[in-house]
Parts: sequence; structure tokens; C-alpha cells
Amino acid sequence: MTKKRTGVFVCHCGNNIAATVDVARVVKEMSAEETVVYSQDYVYMCSDPGQNAVIQAIKDNQLDSVVVSCCSPSLHEKTFRDNTTRAGISGFTCEIANIREQCAWVHKDRDVGTEKAIKISRSAVRRAGRNQSLEPIAVPVTRRVMVIGGGIAGIQASLDMANAGLEVILVERQATLGGHMLQLSETFPTLDCSQCILSPKMVEVSRHPKIKVMTYCEVQEVSGSVGNFKAKILKKPTFVDPEKCNICDDCTQVCPVVVPNEYELGLTARRAIYIPYAQAIPASYTLDEEACLGLNPIRCGKCKDACEADAINYDMRPETVVEEVGAIVVATGFDLYPQENIAEYGYGKVEDVLDGLQFERLCSASGATSGHVLRPSDHKVPKDVVFIQCVGSRDPAQHCAYCSKICCMYTAKHATLYKHHVPDGRAYVFYIDIRSGGKGYEEFVQRTMEEDGAIYLRGRVSKLYRHNGKVKVLGTDTLTGQNVEIDADMVVLALAMQPSKGTAQAAKVLKIGRDKDGFLAEAHPKLRPVESVTAGIFLAGAAQGPKDIPETVAQAGAAAAKVIALLSQATLSHAPTVARVRRSHCTGCEMCVTACPYHAIRLENGKAVVNEVLCEGCGSCTATCLRAAIEVKNATQMQVFEMIEACLA
Amino acid sequence: MFFNNLKQLHGTVYINDIWCKGCGFCVQFCPTNVLDISPEFNAKGYHPPYAKNPEKCHDCQYCQMICPEFSIFVTKDDEIAKGEAEK
Ligand SMILES: Cc1cc2nc3c(=O)[nH]c(=O)nc-3n(C[C@H](O)[C@H](O)[C@H](O)COP(=O)(O)OP(=O)(O)OC[C@H]3O[C@@H](n4cnc5c(N)ncnc54)[C@H](O)[C@@H]3O)c2cc1C
Ligand code: SF4
Ligand code: SF4
Ligand code: SF4
Ligand code: SF4
Repeated sequence: MTKKRTGVFVCHCGNNIAATVDVARVVKEMSAEETVVYSQDYVYMCSDPGQNAVIQAIKDNQLDSVVVSCCSPSLHEKTFRDNTTRAGISGFTCEIANIREQCAWVHKDRDVGTEKAIKISRSAVRRAGRNQSLEPIAVPVTRRVMVIGGGIAGIQASLDMANAGLEVILVERQATLGGHMLQLSETFPTLDCSQCILSPKMVEVSRHPKIKVMTYCEVQEVSGSVGNFKAKILKKPTFVDPEKCNICDDCTQVCPVVVPNEYELGLTARRAIYIPYAQAIPASYTLDEEACLGLNPIRCGKCKDACEADAINYDMRPETVVEEVGAIVVATGFDLYPQENIAEYGYGKVEDVLDGLQFERLCSASGATSGHVLRPSDHKVPKDVVFIQCVGSRDPAQHCAYCSKICCMYTAKHATLYKHHVPDGRAYVFYIDIRSGGKGYEEFVQRTMEEDGAIYLRGRVSKLYRHNGKVKVLGTDTLTGQNVEIDADMVVLALAMQPSKGTAQAAKVLKIGRDKDGFLAEAHPKLRPVESVTAGIFLAGAAQGPKDIPETVAQAGAAAAKVIALLSQATLSHAPTVARVRRSHCTGCEMCVTACPYHAIRLENGKAVVNEVLCEGCGSCTATCLRAAIEVKNATQMQVFEMIEACLA
Repeated sequence: MFFNNLKQLHGTVYINDIWCKGCGFCVQFCPTNVLDISPEFNAKGYHPPYAKNPEKCHDCQYCQMICPEFSIFVTKDDEIAKGEAEK
């Protein structure tokens, strides 16, 4: 092998690096390295003059490899690899030595920092000394997208992408699209009817020629990578043919079974065969397999006898379909924090203590009470209603540490709606503080207090229990220091938002990260808020963090734009730093085949073969192979050994 | 309890002890476990079923369909069926 001609470029990063690392010494030490023919430092290597210096140096000194000692490769690796390419040599001959995050920022002592920076840089020089010139692999793209979750986030993202010409598959686990927004009555801050603004979008999605809606479906398995994912989707049987069902409702008239209606949060009952809402999309009934007595023509079978359209088919079975897509948007939404976890408010067992979504259903014209606010225990109009904010939120000791962001606003909305329904009633709101950042939000809260006359009490409710047919609420008003005792007819808890169960399931299937609270983790909290760490998988809506509708819609649009940009390319480039098999060493033991998390290796004629498009260069195979027969290009065992040596020397 | 006042439909099982041959199909297959084997003997010397949890019968009529001896049948309880209306 001819000797390499490496150039080393050490960055001061202003004072970020230079304060703790003697940059000039690093340059001097590097120039002593055998392969290094050029070295320099510069105050901001990533600035235009800095970049030009790199390009010029490569040309002037016929460099064939480059090391830049600077910040994390997640920030500027691309910048400098692009520069090496522009200077006429392969970008993959360029290595980054991270002497900022991993060195300057974690040390105080200049000597220690300088020593470490030299070792890090030297190890990168050794690695660069054995780097091959590689060219990116071109990968064809599938111009289709899968959206998981049919709430407002999934609906909006699907529409935006389909209107840009992409084919969309929208997968929803429930029997209808709409998510939680379909359960809301009116929405803050403008109080427009939630279903009225949502259902046109649902109809548009269902009629869109580019969108395939798959309700009552779940994604079971996803393989492949950006540009070419393969998703296995389970279609659960609804036992009703949506094409034939004419929503005549004859079946529910005869079905003998009664179970709580989860779409009305248990405020009403439904039959074993049901339609979630009148506005459900697809407009078809669904037979709940678990509640049904029959599913067998000689057992029960009343609904099938009653159905004149012959829409009911007890022989439907689960089906799996495989869809190929280039990108995925995860919009799996939220659930409310379980009331059963709140000990001080009776574990959800105290009658007439509702959660926010149940109250939405009480106010909704299409809800359990056709829009009359009644209390569940005796169906009477409640005259004293207590709203409690921050239930489960901002309580790191027992529940969720985070603020759920929307509860201040929806509680104000609930108090307003209640006063509109029951003008002579009294609405009490217990709050810790009011967070009403947002266009028109603060004004809305002020109106709730001043015009609608809701009584805001700053403090926490310590306890509530049933007493003489009412709910006794004990709390403190911290502004006056007085203890407060209210005999309430009804209590509404603003429970924390938490990631939905489906979010956990989807994250597991897609192998994408979640944060400490279980919300989907974004690639960068500031700069890449709608991307997951895995290329080609994007995030939208409340699955990524608590959000209201405007924010959800904005994020869905952003995710759609990212997907459109990604899939507008004819081919994607894939890093060529993939595994390579030394056929002479390979015994065909298949250890690497099982170790590879991306299913990139298969056996062909008794030897391992790597699918370069699937390989992510993780090195799991190298670590398992007993015969060093499989190695990742530009991260070979030899390179790793030499890097370790350089660090220990 | 529910705002829409939906009621569970009920049925009543009638058992003709005399014809029963004690095969136990009805007990085994009732989806809501209404039936159990009686400790009593019938005239043929078999244990017929009896309605252990009669309130759980929802008139699915499965026992009636599978009984090889035609010795069990179900009727829909009318008064409750009427109360079913949602309106
Ligand atoms: C009581 C209450 C009142 C509110 N009032 C307002 C208001 O007035 N104004 C406002 O702006 N916002 C309001 N919000 C917030 C609003 O509901 C949310 O911002 C919005 O619903 C988030 O939409 P989403 O699509 O991200 O999630 P969701 O609505 O939760 O939808 C997620 C969808 O994904 C599906 N899903 C989940 N997992 C999977 C899976 N693995 N596979 C397939 N599908 C899956 C779910 O079934 C669901 O349909 C309120 C929230 C609450 C709790
Ligand atoms: S077969 Fe099932 S869904 Fe149909 S009427 Fe009977 S219990 Fe209801
Ligand atoms: S009876 Fe048949 S057509 Fe009518 S709603 Fe039920 S499934 Fe649909
Ligand atoms: S480096 Fe090896 S284990 Fe990792 S993805 Fe490539 S082939 Fe699979
Ligand atoms: S199925 Fe008929 S014969 Fe058999 S135990 Fe029941 S009642 Fe008797």
C-alpha cells in the first residue's frame, strides 16, 4: 500500500475548544504522524474561509485523506465530507475527531484536555490512514408513504402528502378515523364544533384517490430502511362488509348483548355489533368479537338474520397484507392518564367524578346526553361543578413530571361551556397556575373568569369523597390561605396526557426511541423536531409530546413536507460504509445472519452475502464472527485496533 | 346506569328432563355459562342440566340448536325486550 497523504485540520470553535485545548500543540503533534503531510488550525473551521482552506489544502498538497478535529460528527461530518468531495477525493476518506463534546466541554484542566485531544485526533489519523475511497450507494425509492394513526395528525399528514401526489396508506387501529378530536365538543379558543371541522377532512381522506384507508388494522412488523420499507399490516375482521352495510341499524335492534361504549367513554352502552359514531368513517358497522355470543350461524345469529343487506359474514378471518413504502409517519396520539392511578381522588371509583373527555361527550350535541350537561348518577343537571387542573401532571413524585400543556385551556373551555349550558350553575376551577401561551388563549381564559363568571381558586384539592349524594371536595385557596369545602354535584378532572398504548406498540414495531415519559423521541429537540432518529420515519401529533390541535396540524404538515422532500428524489444515497464478507474466511456458520438487526445478511452457496442497501454498518456481525470474515468498510478490525492503540499509547 | 338506557336482552331456558340423555353439550357450549349438570337423576338415570345462572341467558339459542334430544329450548323475555328502546 502506498503511504497515505493525510491533512489534519484543528478547529478552535472560538473559545469552545481553544479554552481547554492547546490547539497549536495538537497541530504540532499531528504533523509528526507518519502519514500526515499537512496540518493547520483555524478559529472556525466550519466557516466559509475555514472550509475553503480545507479544499485548497487538499488540492495544493495532493491529500488523499482528511481528519478534522472539531465538534461532534452529528453536526459537521456532512459539511467536511462534502468539502473533500468538492476537492476531488472521496468524502468517505474524511474522518471527524470529536474534541469538543467529548473533550473540551467535559474538561477544565487545559493539560488534560490537550492530551486527550491529541489522542482523539491521533486515533482518527490512524483510522484515516486505512480508509478506502468509497462512493455512496444509490438506492431506488418507493414513492408511497404509510401513516400510522388516523387522528387529526394522521389525517392532515395524509392529505398533505396525497395532494402532493404521493400514494398514502393510512392505518388506524380503531373502527373509525378521527382519534380524540372526534370526541371533543367545541374547541378552544374559538369554540367551533370539533366534529364539524373534522368530518369534512375525514370525508376527503376517505374519498381521496391517492389514500388507502385501513381502519381496524395494526402494523405488526416493519423491515427495510429509508426509501424501501416493508410493512406487515394485520386487518382485524369486522365481520361486516363495509361495501354492503347500509347503516340501517337493524342489527343493533336485535343484538342481545350490552357492553359499555368505549367511544363514549363508558357513559353509554352499545351492542356487540355497533357503529362508533354516526359520522364514523368508514360508514359501516363493526362486530365486536369479544362481546358477541355467536360468530357462528347456529349460535345467536340474530344480527345476520336481521341484516337485509346480507352484510354480515361470520366467516371473516384476520388477514395480513404487506405494503411497500418509502417513508413512514407515526401519528399514534395520546391517552389520558388513568384515573385509577389517582389515590387522592378515589381511584376513579367515586361517582360523578369524570375525566375531561367524558365531559366533552356530555357537552357534545352528538354525545351521550345529546348535549345536555347531566350528571351520571341521577341524570340531573349539576349546579355546582368543580374542575381540577393538573391531575397527574407536574407531579414528579407520584405521577408525570411534565406539564400536559393543554389542560389549562380545555378546563377554561369546559367552565365556559358549562356556564353556557347551565347559566345559573357555579363553576369552580382549582389551578396551580394558568399557562395560556397561544394566539387568543389568554383572552379566552380572561373571558372565562370575567364574562362567564367561573370561580378560579388557586390551590390543590387534597381529597374528595361521596357525601349525602354529592361529592365533597376539600381544598385550599392559597391566595387567601383559607380552606375550601365544596359540596359538588359533579367533578371534572383534567388528567395528564400520556402517550397512547398504540404509541408504545408502534415504537416497538418500528424500533424507534421514546423519551423518559414514553413520548416518541425526535432526532433533535430543536433542529429536527418531526424526525425520528431512524431515517425515513417521521413523527406527528400528540404521540411526540402534549399538543393542542393547531400545533398537531402544524407538525403534521411539517412531517408531510419532510416526506415529500425525501421522496421527490429519484434515488437515495446510502452510506457505502457497509459490511463486506471475506469469502475465503467465511465458513457459513450463520452467526452473523442471526446477529444482524437489519436482516441484511443471507447465506448463498454456503457463504454469507450482505445486502448493501439494508446494511446500516452497525458492526454487530463483525463482533459475532469468530473468523473475522465480515467487516465494515472503513471501520475494519485493523482500524479499530490501531485506534485503540493510539488512544492507549 | 347508562345514559342511553340500553338493556341487555334476556331469555329463559326450559329443560325437558325426561328426554335428556345427559351428554352435557349444552353445559359445555353455552357461551355465558348459564347451565350446569344437576346432581339429580332423571327417569332414565341421567343427570340433566339445570339453569345455575338463569339471569345470564341472553337468548342465543345455542343449547337449543345443539341438543341432540330436543330437550332444551329458550324463549325471549318479552317485558325486558320492550324496555330496550333507546329513545
Ligand atoms: C379533554 C380534552 C379536550 C381537548 N380540547 C381541545 C381543544 O378544545 N382544542 C384543541 O386544540 N385541542 C384540544 N385537545 C387536544 C386534542 O385532542 C389533541 O391535540 C389531538 O387530538 C391530537 O391529535 P393526534 O392525532 O395527535 O392524536 P389522537 O387524537 O390521539 O389520534 C391518534 C390516533 O392514532 C390511533 N392509533 C394509536 N396507536 C395506533 C397504532 N399502533 N396503530 C394504528 N393506529 C393507532 C388512535 O386510535 C387514534 O385514532 C383536547 C384534549 C383533551 C384530552
Ligand atoms: S351474533 Fe353477536 S353481534 Fe350478532 S346479534 Fe348475536 S351477539 Fe349480537
Ligand atoms: S343490519 Fe346489516 S346493513 Fe344494517 S347496519 Fe347492521 S350490518 Fe349494516
Ligand atoms: S454491519 Fe453487519 S450486522 Fe450491521 S447491518 Fe451491516 S450486515 Fe448487519
Ligand atoms: S344437550 Fe340436551 S341432551 Fe345433552 S345434556 Fe343438554 S339437554 Fe341434555
